[in-house]
Amino acid sequence: MDGVDYEGGTTVGMLRVMSRRGDDRLTWDEQKAQVGDPEALAAVREAERIFTQERAKGATAFRMVPGKQAQRIEKFDPMAEQIVMVPRVVGG
Amino acid sequence: MSPISQVLAVLCWVIIALAIAPMVWLVLQPYMKGLSRAERRASDLLRDMLTPEQFHQLAGRGYLEVPSPTEPRRLYRVPRYKGYVQVIENGRATMRLCLQPAESLPDADVVVLHKLMIEANEETYLQKANKYVCLD
Repeated sequence: MDGVDYEGGTTVGMLRVMSRRGDDRLTWDEQKAQVGDPEALAAVREAERIFTQERAKGATAFRMVPGKQAQRIEKFDPMAEQIVMVPRVVGG
Repeated sequence: MSPISQVLAVLCWVIIALAIAPMVWLVLQPYMKGLSRAERRASDLLRDMLTPEQFHQLAGRGYLEVPSPTEPRRLYRVPRYKGYVQVIENGRATMRLCLQPAESLPDADVVVLHKLMIEANEETYLQKANKYVCLD
């Protein structure tokens, strides 16, 4: 199963967006979202909104899979354990 | 100027400096705290993204070696702090790359950025980087 299993059995996805403040993090409980929990659904929607906003600014998103290389993704994946977004890059 | 007036002048400057120091500290403190918090968060992300071996390599040698996903004999040396990324092919440095985030990031985040871009987006990475051929 995707997601980080924490004690208590909840499964959490995380969006990490790099910025000058380090990385801003947003988590959501994918299991609760699947059963329609309003708070979890709101967290997923917020993560998707940030994802879309950062992509529009030129950021690249990577889906992290434990033990495997990162995968570049174009669309927000609520089932992802962890998504890392890096800002637009330019030649120096 | 007599020695006594020189001593007095120095004393005056010391008193002024001591009076100003707390005010300067109050002004700078939020920035210093913010900066160290950002570096700490970036270090956490770096630790999460690297294997223990990679983390030790970065700490010990000052660079991280990232193998090319498309060219088995090529690897990239990403420096821990700001600088060029070296391209090593068949054990020889062939190129230096300069690529940076459009917005300022802590150094540890920049290492993660290079690693992710090389591993999952190498073509774009090479397209965007400015390249400097190593002639030696």
